[in-house]
Formats: sequence, C-alpha cells, structure tokens
Amino acid sequence: MSEIPLPQTVKRVAPWWLLRHETMLAAILFVALVILGVLNNRFLTLDNLLNQGRLTTEVGLIALPMTFIIITGGIDLSVGSIVGLCAIMLGYSWKIFGFPLPLAICFSLVVGAAAGFLNGLVITKVKVPPLIMTIATLALYRGLAEGISQAHSVRGYPEWFYFVGQSDLFGVPAQLWLLLIAIVVAGIALDRTTFGRTLYAIGNNETAARFSGLPVDRVKLIIYTLSGLMAGLSAFVLVSRVTTTRSDMGSGYELDVIAAVVLGGTSIFGGLGTIWGTIVGLAMIQLLKNGLALTGVKGDATIVVIGAVLILSTLVAGSLQRRRDGV
Amino acid sequence: MIAATLTRTEADPRRLLKALASQEVLLAIAVVGLAIAVGFYNPRFLATRNLSDVLLGNAYIAVAAVGMSMVIISGNIDISVGSLIGVLATLSGTLAVDGAPIIITWLVPLVVGVLVMAAQGAVIAYLRIPAIVVTLGMLSILKGGLISATGGKWITDLPDGFHLADIELFGTVPMPVLLMIVATILAALWMRHSASGRTIYAVGGNAEAARLCGISQPRTTVMVFALHGFFAGVAALLYATQLRVIQSTVPPNLELTIITASVVGGVSILGGVGTVIGSSLAAILIAEIASALVFTDVSPYWIRAVQGSLILITVIADILRRRRMAGA
Amino acid sequence: MANDHPLPESTEPLLLSVRDIEKSFPGVNALSGVSFNVAKGEVHALLGENGAGKSTLIKIVSGVFPPDRGEVIVDGKPVNLERPDDARRAGIATIYQELLLFPELTVAENIFMGHAPRTGLGRLDWRAMREKTTDLLASLAIHDLHADRVVGSLSVGNRQRVEILRALSQDARILIMDEPTAALTEYDVTRLFDIVRKLKARGVAVIYISHRLDEIFAIADRVTVLRDGAHIATKRVADTTATELVQLMVGRKIESLFPKITVPIGEPVLELKDIERRPLTKRISLTVRAGEIVGLAGLVGSGRSELAHTIFGVTPAEGGEIKIRGLAVDIRSPARARALGIGYVPEDRGTQGLVRAMTVRENFSLAALGKVAFGGFIDRAAERKLAGDGVKRFAVKASSLEQVAGKLSGGNQQKIVLGKWLANQPKLLILDEPTRGIDVGAKAEIHRLMGELAAQGLAILMISSELPEVLGMSDRVLVMREGHIVAEFLREDATQEAVGAAMMGNHEGVEKVA
Repeated sequence: MSEIPLPQTVKRVAPWWLLRHETMLAAILFVALVILGVLNNRFLTLDNLLNQGRLTTEVGLIALPMTFIIITGGIDLSVGSIVGLCAIMLGYSWKIFGFPLPLAICFSLVVGAAAGFLNGLVITKVKVPPLIMTIATLALYRGLAEGISQAHSVRGYPEWFYFVGQSDLFGVPAQLWLLLIAIVVAGIALDRTTFGRTLYAIGNNETAARFSGLPVDRVKLIIYTLSGLMAGLSAFVLVSRVTTTRSDMGSGYELDVIAAVVLGGTSIFGGLGTIWGTIVGLAMIQLLKNGLALTGVKGDATIVVIGAVLILSTLVAGSLQRRRDGV
Repeated sequence: MIAATLTRTEADPRRLLKALASQEVLLAIAVVGLAIAVGFYNPRFLATRNLSDVLLGNAYIAVAAVGMSMVIISGNIDISVGSLIGVLATLSGTLAVDGAPIIITWLVPLVVGVLVMAAQGAVIAYLRIPAIVVTLGMLSILKGGLISATGGKWITDLPDGFHLADIELFGTVPMPVLLMIVATILAALWMRHSASGRTIYAVGGNAEAARLCGISQPRTTVMVFALHGFFAGVAALLYATQLRVIQSTVPPNLELTIITASVVGGVSILGGVGTVIGSSLAAILIAEIASALVFTDVSPYWIRAVQGSLILITVIADILRRRRMAGA
Repeated sequence: MANDHPLPESTEPLLLSVRDIEKSFPGVNALSGVSFNVAKGEVHALLGENGAGKSTLIKIVSGVFPPDRGEVIVDGKPVNLERPDDARRAGIATIYQELLLFPELTVAENIFMGHAPRTGLGRLDWRAMREKTTDLLASLAIHDLHADRVVGSLSVGNRQRVEILRALSQDARILIMDEPTAALTEYDVTRLFDIVRKLKARGVAVIYISHRLDEIFAIADRVTVLRDGAHIATKRVADTTATELVQLMVGRKIESLFPKITVPIGEPVLELKDIERRPLTKRISLTVRAGEIVGLAGLVGSGRSELAHTIFGVTPAEGGEIKIRGLAVDIRSPARARALGIGYVPEDRGTQGLVRAMTVRENFSLAALGKVAFGGFIDRAAERKLAGDGVKRFAVKASSLEQVAGKLSGGNQQKIVLGKWLANQPKLLILDEPTRGIDVGAKAEIHRLMGELAAQGLAILMISSELPEVLGMSDRVLVMREGHIVAEFLREDATQEAVGAAMMGNHEGVEKVA
C-alpha cells in the first residue's frame, strides 16, 4: 500500500473535548447554584451547603473507584449491596461476635474489600463480563446481608462512634474531610501516576496495554477491590450518620454513583473520564436533590430525575463522542 | 477410519441433544425431588394448600420470565421489569377503583407495558445506549414515579370482578397456572417454529452473522423488548389481582428473581441459547425453594443469598463451558 | 510487469469481472486500478502478501463497501453492490476466515438462517430443512455431518463445510474463499479440494485467496498476483512456476537499502530449545546473539508470529526452554518479558502496538512508564523529554507531542511503537513485519535504525515476508514452515531462490535445520 501524506491537524482531540465537557458542566453547576439561591434563600447558606456536602459523602466515596472502573470499560453494580453487607458486618461483629468496636469497623472494611476482590477475581480469571458478575453479586451480597441480619437492626453505638457521621471538624462535617482526602488521592492517582495511565490504556485498547507489558489483570483486581473497600467505608460513614444498621442500606446507591460518574464526563464505553468531572457530577446530582426538596418535591421523586439524568447524559456523551470520532 | 478419527474430536450428537434437553429435565427432577425431600422433613410442605399457594402465588414470575428470557437470549439485559410490573399493577388497580370497565383495567397494562419496553428497546437499538444504562435509568424513573404518584397509599377497594387471578377456567384450572402454561407454550412454539422467533437466537448467537443473513438487529431488539413488555403486563395483572390490596411500592428485587429464573432455566447470559420452558420450570423451582426455607425452619431471609449463589454458579459454569467450546 | 489477462482455455463466459477498481482509506491507498475476472467453472486464485489489497478487493465484491472508482460486472451486467445483500442476490457468496456461524444452533439451521423453508401456515418446515441439508451434504459427498449437529461442537473443517453449504443453499454462482485452509488439517484440505472440484463441475466460479503456492498449483486454473494495492499479473497456472509467482509477489525494485554494517557479534541473548506451543509452534530451537540480526522468513501461517507471541509471553510456551542471556526463564506474561529486557513490535500495530486514542507522548512512554515515573508518579517533564528525544531520533512527523497517535501515518505510527520499546532499553527486540504498509522513505529510516541498534549490541529477531528486506538486513536467515524451522542460511548463502524454495517446501538448495 502506498501512503497519502496526511494534513497535519493540530488538535489534541480527546482531552480538548473532555475539558469542554467538564467546563460546561461546571458552568451549568454555577448557574444552577445561583438560580436555586435566588429561588430559595435557605439554599445558599453555608449551613445548607455544608450539610449537602455531608450527605454527598457516602455516594461520593464510592464514585471515586467507580470512575476508575468505568474508565477501564467495566462496571460495578454490586456497590450498594456491599454497603449493606458491610453495614451489617459492622453491627453484627460488634454486637453478636463481641468484637471491640474499632476492630468491628476494620472488619467491615475487610469484608468490603474481600467482596470487591471476589468480583475482580472472577472477572479477571474466569473472564465473566463485569456487568454480569456484579449483577450476580448484587443479589448475593444483599442476600448475605439479609440472611446474616435476619432483618434485625443494630443500635446503641457509643458516642464517639457518631463523630464521623454527625460532627464537624474545624467547621466542616467530619466525613467531608474523609471525602476530600479521598478525592485528592484519587485525583492524583488517576492523573499523575502510572496506575492512572494504565487505567486509560486499558479502557482505550486493552490488547495494546497488555502487549506493552502493563499489568492489566493486577490493575483490574485492584480497582474492584478498592470499589468494595470504599463501599465499606461508605457504610461506616452511613451507619455513623443514621445511628443504626439495617440490611437494606445502600439500596439504590449504584444508580446515584453511576449517574454521577457518567454525568461528570466519564464515557460508559471506557477510555475517558476524570475525578474532577465525577466531583462536578456528584455536586450536580446532590444539588438537584436538594433543590427539588427545597421546592417541595418529595424525596422519592428525585430518583425519577436521577434516572432521567443518567439516560440523557449518556445520550449526549455518546453523540458527542461519535461526532468527535468522525462517525 | 479417518472419519472415525475426526468424529472422536467432536461431541456425540446424541449426547449433545441430551445435554440440551436435560436442563429442562434436570429442573423438573429438581422440582419434584426438592418437594419430596422437604416433604420428608416437614410433611405439611406437601399439603395441597401450600403447594397450590406456592404455584398460584408465583406463576406471574414465570410469565415475566418468558419475556425476560427472550431479552437475554437476544443478547440484551433488562433490570427495569420489576418496577414496570409494580407500575402496571397500580395502574390497573387505579383504573378499577375509578370505575373503569374490568376489561379495560386488564388491557391497559398490556398496552402500556408493550409501549414502555418497546421504547427502551428503541433507545438501546437505535440510539446505541447500553442496555444496562437505559434500564437502570428506567428502573429509577418508574420506581420513583410510582411512589410519587401513589403517595404511599395502598389501593384497597378493588371491585369484585377485578380479580383475574381468582378466576378458574372450567371451574378447576386457576387462571395464574393457565396463563403461565399458555404463555410458556405459545412462546416456546413461536421461538422454535417461526422465522421471526429464530431471529432472537440468531442475533443473540452472532449478531454479525445475523446481519449478513439479512436479519436486522435493531428491529429484532425492539420486537423482543415489546414482547417482554407484553408478558410483563400479563405478569402485572396476575400480581395485581392476587390479593385484596395493591401495594404502593414495587415488589423488591423482583427483576432479580426473574433474571435468576431465566438464567437457572438454561438461558445463557451471553445470549443465543435457552428456552422459556426452562425458565418457567426454574421460576417454579425458585418459588419452591423460598417456601421450602420456611418449612425447614431456615429463615426466609436467606432466599436472596440463594438466588445470588444460583446466578453466580450458573453464570460461571456457562462461561467456562463456552471457553472450553471455543478452545476446541 | 506483465499486465496481460490471458483468457482461460474454454470458451466459458465470464461470470464476474471487475474493472479499474480504486479504493482508499484515510492515509492509505488500498487498491489502485485493479482489474480482474473469473469465468464459469473456473478456480481463480488471488495471491499476495498481507496488505497487498486482496481483502479490500474481496470486500468490495462482497458488498461490504463500494469502490471509489471502477465497476463490478456480473454475468455481463454492471451491478451496484452497496450492501452484502446485493452481493448475495447477485449470486456472490463469501466465506471469511472468521467463520460467521451460530455456535449454539444446528447445522441445518445455520445453513438456512434467513431463508428457511416454510410450511403453508408460515411455520418453519424443519423436515424440509433437514432433508435439504441432507441432500446438500450428499451432493458434496460429506458423510460425517448430520443436519442436527450443534455447530459449536464441530471441528474447524466441518464448520467450514457448513459455511460452504450455506453458500450453496443460496444458489451462489460465485464463491469467494478467503484463506480457507489457514486453520485446516491436511485431511480437511484434501476434502476441501474435492468439494472445490465438484463445484467447478457444476459451473460455480471460485475465487480462492491464498498464499499457499502448493495449493494454488493443485487446484487453481488461473492466478492473479496483487502487490501494494496494484494488479501485478494474471497467469494461467499451467504456464507459470512457483518461483515466478514468489518473485511477482514479493519482488520489488530493491531500493537503496542501507548498506549492512559489519558488527561484532557477541554473546547469545536469546536461546530457544525445543519450544512448543499448540497449535503452531513445534519444537523450535534458535539463538540470537548481541549485535546480530536474525531474519525469520516464511509464508503467512508458518507460525512466525505465534513464535514471537510465545517468546513474548502472550501465549506462554508449553514445552521447551527459553534462556535470556544464559539464564533459564519462564515467560508467562508480556510484563515478565518486558522485565527481562525483551521488546516486541507487533504485526498489527493498530490493535496491538498503539493506543490510537492516546497522544504521541503517552504512547512513547507506555512500555517504559517505570523510567519516567518516580515512586509511581509520572514526571511529566521526564516523559516529555523521553517522547521528544524519540520523536527527534526517529524523525516522527507529528505536529506536537500532544497529537493523537491514531491520526498519524502508518510509518510514523510504527516509529512510535519502535520508539516505545527502545525507551525501555531492551536487550532483545522482536520485530514482526516492521515495514509493512509503510512508504519507502520511512522504510529506509527504519532499516537504518535497525542497523544502528545492532551496532549498539541489541539482538534483533526480525520476522518479515519481504524477501529483499530479509536478505538485505539479516546476518542469518531462518525459514519457518508449518510451525517448524526448516532451513538456516548464513548471510552469504542466502539468495532469493534458495530462501524462497525453503519457504515453499521444495527441497532444493542447502537445508540446515538450526
């Protein structure tokens, strides 16, 4: 084959588009903040905003590894169930097995990591597609939570336990610090480390990544384990906030998490996405919920909106990407 | 001689046919076997009242699994069906309470079911959004919409003629069982003996090859989802008319139970293979297991763990089988 | 270059004729002015290396995409083939290398999918389907297949026969077979030929794409050679020889290949002893020393890339021993191979070599992230320097380091893949078709680079189907055929005839098994 010399186009297409998506989103966020602030003078108070931050933490912690997973072209639908399982294991190992509470907390984190690890193991070794594996474990882990707890809840935690969920540290909700630290770590990892680069490579061309000697299976195992671990951490924050442990905790989290990640510009097909985008997506969704609540819309209706947001943002992202690829 | 060498590397056709048929046979054996085993432990399990409750109360799951099996065989997935059934049930009940003719309260859910599912199918097929995203979004829209619309109220004053599930044809055959059997058999016949039924297997088995045979994948997808919506509608009717009340929430994790029925019934999660007879038998088996848990003093709270394990084991076995076959 | 189209001996009418077909894709001229025809009952072979344009031509005739210019004429009438359906209706059926079958369905159903016989009520007529299948099987004397067998359980040979039957069931008059014997046993090949002869007798025209010369001489009436997207020659098989065909297929004006520098050859870097891996790597033993360029010649399908994949850990060895610089090692993954100092520039650079959506900079560092990262953190400045040095050293024509790699020309992409591995300072470099699909200028540059690298002590194993390249660059030439190494030539003994003969299997010339 002989070659036709190509016109040299200067555009650095992928990151250019991405930046645009996130800036657009951040701009919308800003505008929405202003509008809601005008419509409702309770909205733009520091108190309310910080409280919203507090409420975002549980979903936010999980959205970080979910961003990693979706960038590689995978998905984890079992996160909500892992939250429930860890919440139960926290309560039960303390109340029933008699662990000292700090140990119980660590134990529940280990359970979360183990649950994620099992996902990753079957996905990489048996090569079950992530969607299918995590639908199965969504059922299994929730089932374990229900079976172990027999639908009993655990209460009566000591005072110090509620610190993370309900108190403030230097004026900011305690769990928000946790989230902020996680965001910084995740953001740096994704953007600046070899680990992050490997994630993008896997999402764009897993074969080439393998052929370049990158440890594809190991990285996948890590991200699914992280997803489980963060779900466990989220469970701890949740229990600490609502003072009780129930087996239906975390139900529906996967919707919020995936919607935030996709809204934030991470492509469901893999290869694109940033932590910054996920944060903006999270903020938008929490904003949406808060705004709806303040204008009197009942809590349950908000998932209608989230569901619609998920579908629409995938649609928009998909067609933008097709135009970018010249299809 | 050389031919014999060749055939040694290929599976005996009879053995393969047996393997294919045996999923259904295995399930039937499991249903009967489990009943006997539990009956030994607790004879009350075998009381006619219990067995008929189990069957009548869960026939709607088998009906829904017929549609779900079609979706999975065609290579797709749907997790919104549970919420849809809840919505359609409430729709039906609301119409009945508002005085609509009974026949309308039975037909409207069918039509709405078809339209909602067909719309999802169209979005998946033509807008090329992954099925998991569309159905996850729709699940939330339906679930939230239902609770908002009903405000948490249960529907109670249902008129007498409404209860389709109570009708017994010829005085003996209960409607749920009848509908389950009719739906399964009609669907099985259509999927086996009609060209359009076979396109489901073609598209799910090898979409590219199907395209080269002139089969349009988008059109098949929309068709499959529309049929799925129809069966979901029938299931919703049975679900709505079983009790004296209709709850305001969607039945929890119903879609998982339906998917489990399909997968355990022999439908490969990767598409291209499976039968609705298998999924109906599996639906009965799952309902039986749930009841067995009660009668063997195992807490019913373990049922979801059982379902999850069943899906996991079946899926892993299926993937391993496919890898072995591809390597052959 | 002969451009004649000698007509076949019979006065059979031409069934298919393509004239002056041109087709290009972004950055690449796939076909330029190709003409070609085939007559009723003729087996016409299409010969050429990978990248010669055979598959593009076939896709045009199969209706996968239309040509940019030129026309396709079936039975004397021009046809517009815009979709595969159009081709099917024109009586053209294609059997691709990746068989397009439904593994969970039966033989009969696979054959009749999309056009199954029906009963009066519109129901599928299973019995008619089974009967017709049995008839089809009998017509081709196939006695070990049953209509009710599930296709997934069949051997590759049988699956291919199902595909052929599917074509026949649709009354195909022109059958195109793309590398049909690539995955078949010798027994299956014999049976395939029987079938092809029966089809000939029925007046079906067969276009047979293959690189296996012995098969072409066994079954074809005429042969057309393509090279670099152009028609080189059409000959009657009876009027030509294998040597002539090889020459037409690979012979090029030998451009000023960079003169070979004599380089001191050092210690063995790679030693293979009886390496085995199913299905196509059979007890391979070879050695590559520092500073040495070993050329691995052979026809497509001889197992060279498979061997490379085994050395590189993609498909780990099942038997035998590998030694790197004297130490026995176990290479189970590309990561391990990389850690041992092995680099691999793959044959398929788009899928295996580059991440097309990433930038030049990111691709350059992909295999050497450890070198530009400290404690896991990527040093952007170091990465830019690495990529910048690479761009300069390899003369990569890109507008900037941040340009998306997928938009570059083939030659520049290949330089990036090469550069990516060199950033790792490997001791052994395996190059698989390093200059395929690359313009002359870039080819020369890559050859120059190879010479420099050898001078620096790198051991190079070069897999190539271009004989001038193999002969010009190698210190030693190894020839593979069907998974074995069948000949070894020192530089001074390697001639195009001798190497070509070894590739094809004539036992002329000196044969030294390594």
